[in-house]
Amino acid sequence: MASRDVVQYKSPVAVAFKVFSIIFLVIYLIWTLLPIFVMFVSSFKDLLEAFNIPEVGDWAGVMVFFDFSPTLKHYQSLFYDNNFGEYMANSLIAAGGSAVIAVTFGSMAAYSLSRVEFRGKGDLFFWIISTRMAPVVAVMVPLYAIFRSFDLIGTLPGLILAYTTFNLPFAIWILKGFFDNVPYSIEEAQMVDGATRFQAFMSILPLVAPGIAAFIVLCILFAWNDFLFAAIIGSGGAKTLPVATRELVQPQNIQWGAIMAAGVVTTLPMMLLGLVIRKYLVTGMTMGAVKE
Amino acid sequence: MTSEVTDIGVAPLPPGAGLFRARGTSLDIEARPVTAALPLPARLNAAAPRRYYLYLMAPAIAVLAFISLYPFVWLIVMSLQDVGVGDGEWVGLKNYTRLFSDARFLEGWVLLAQYSAMCLTLQLSIGLLLAVIVNGAKWEKFLVTALLMPMMMAPAVAGLVWLFLYNGTFGWYHWLFQSLGLLGGGSILSSTDTAMLAIVLVDVWQWTPLITLIALAGLKRVPQDQLEANMVDGASPLRNFFAITLPNLYPVLLIAIMLRFMDNFRFIDAALVLTGGGPADSTKILPIYLFEVAFKFFKLGRGAAIALTLLIVTIILGKLLVRIFEKPKSERV
Repeated sequence: MASRDVVQYKSPVAVAFKVFSIIFLVIYLIWTLLPIFVMFVSSFKDLLEAFNIPEVGDWAGVMVFFDFSPTLKHYQSLFYDNNFGEYMANSLIAAGGSAVIAVTFGSMAAYSLSRVEFRGKGDLFFWIISTRMAPVVAVMVPLYAIFRSFDLIGTLPGLILAYTTFNLPFAIWILKGFFDNVPYSIEEAQMVDGATRFQAFMSILPLVAPGIAAFIVLCILFAWNDFLFAAIIGSGGAKTLPVATRELVQPQNIQWGAIMAAGVVTTLPMMLLGLVIRKYLVTGMTMGAVKE
Repeated sequence: MTSEVTDIGVAPLPPGAGLFRARGTSLDIEARPVTAALPLPARLNAAAPRRYYLYLMAPAIAVLAFISLYPFVWLIVMSLQDVGVGDGEWVGLKNYTRLFSDARFLEGWVLLAQYSAMCLTLQLSIGLLLAVIVNGAKWEKFLVTALLMPMMMAPAVAGLVWLFLYNGTFGWYHWLFQSLGLLGGGSILSSTDTAMLAIVLVDVWQWTPLITLIALAGLKRVPQDQLEANMVDGASPLRNFFAITLPNLYPVLLIAIMLRFMDNFRFIDAALVLTGGGPADSTKILPIYLFEVAFKFFKLGRGAAIALTLLIVTIILGKLLVRIFEKPKSERV
């Protein structure tokens, strides 16, 4: 910014704000990263070491946090004693399945909603989006009764369908924005050249492909991180990672080391995926209202 | 000149002839240039058969009807019944009339409002301040990436991690709060005074970055020329912020507020894991109460009535939100 090079004068207030902002930033960064850091480190700690904590007010004692010998036994116990491999597969199938369904059907619906006008379109659209905004618990009450009569409780197809309740509206809503940005003249040109309508639709797919890929990942993220649906609809046969992690909390014996390790197993893949689709994250999390 | 050309094809369009006929060609084979005398394709691309779009829309609509419309009808039916584990029994409006004398239902709304208000105030003020600081900072990319991390965590897992940090004997935040003299003997979760604050803090921890990122996207669009003009006129940076930056941010902040507001209604994962509504119902916000009624005591009929009230409020909020979304592009950020 050129203006910044020209204006050299810094008032005391500006300097004070600068200092304040640096302090604030450092504190905020510690506050935001500390729980994640504690989770990672504690997952490598033996049980007793994880409970080491300095006396109240003993600020120098903080270093006791780093005083431990790393162990992988919590991870081993997760996968050997606790079936976490299976839960991970469940999470992956449920999240991936609903993401694929949502984006396949969603892109078709989004395309046609973007290209055609009809009476009641606004109402249809509002119905679609309100499905996504509805509180999960409220949606789950009738869904539970219905799924029970279809014998879908505790099955992966049931869970996939449950996740589709929020992923499909999300996909339609976001992808419509994408198709709106593709000019109709591209398809027209294709059709003048003799393409059928479906071929024309296929021909513009590459233009929205990066967005679609990013939103498959976002759909996976939302479904993977879900707890309520998995706890109720998936209870029994289709336990996912967050539910399995929660079940390590038992009244008598809370296995903190295993919980932290399970937390890492649940969180790490999503953090990496989040970094991959970084560009689309804000758009996705704000349902397309804010474009970065 | 041009009239001559168009006059060649005087024959009126027979029904079914496409709109994509090249201008100036006649439907009579003899009148056409030789190159055009090819057999007509079986079907020309008509303007836009709506059927085609309908087919494309159908699968999504069908799935949504099954998982959204059908359950909604069911919800209304269930709310008029006494549904437990078995089949329901019609009870009329009893489920609704009972709500008004249900102290925990009313309390749930109050707590939900308190919870949302506290979360939003903290998130908005911290998030906005953070956005202003991060905007244009030297390590902006790194900072934004660091801010993203909490949002990637499953809220239930976040709740568990915080449960560990809040623990009264070995929790690090417990130690910190005590060392700072903010907390007495018991754990923050065990007291009715502080438990609400504890779940608010977790929500603030996880979702303030979202507000920051939204505000950051808005800050990038604040017209620099206005800021400069104002500065030339002698405005202080603070004045600049309130007179120009903030009004420009207003639409995005509104979106952020609405989104967070709805998410406070939607997600109770962390609070459920941390307190489950306790101690002594001091954090039993309405969705948690609903969860208990419906899935702990399996009073699905009563749960449906509560769910319906929650849904109606959400739909009203949603209508407001969509109105903001659908503002013309020029007004939108």
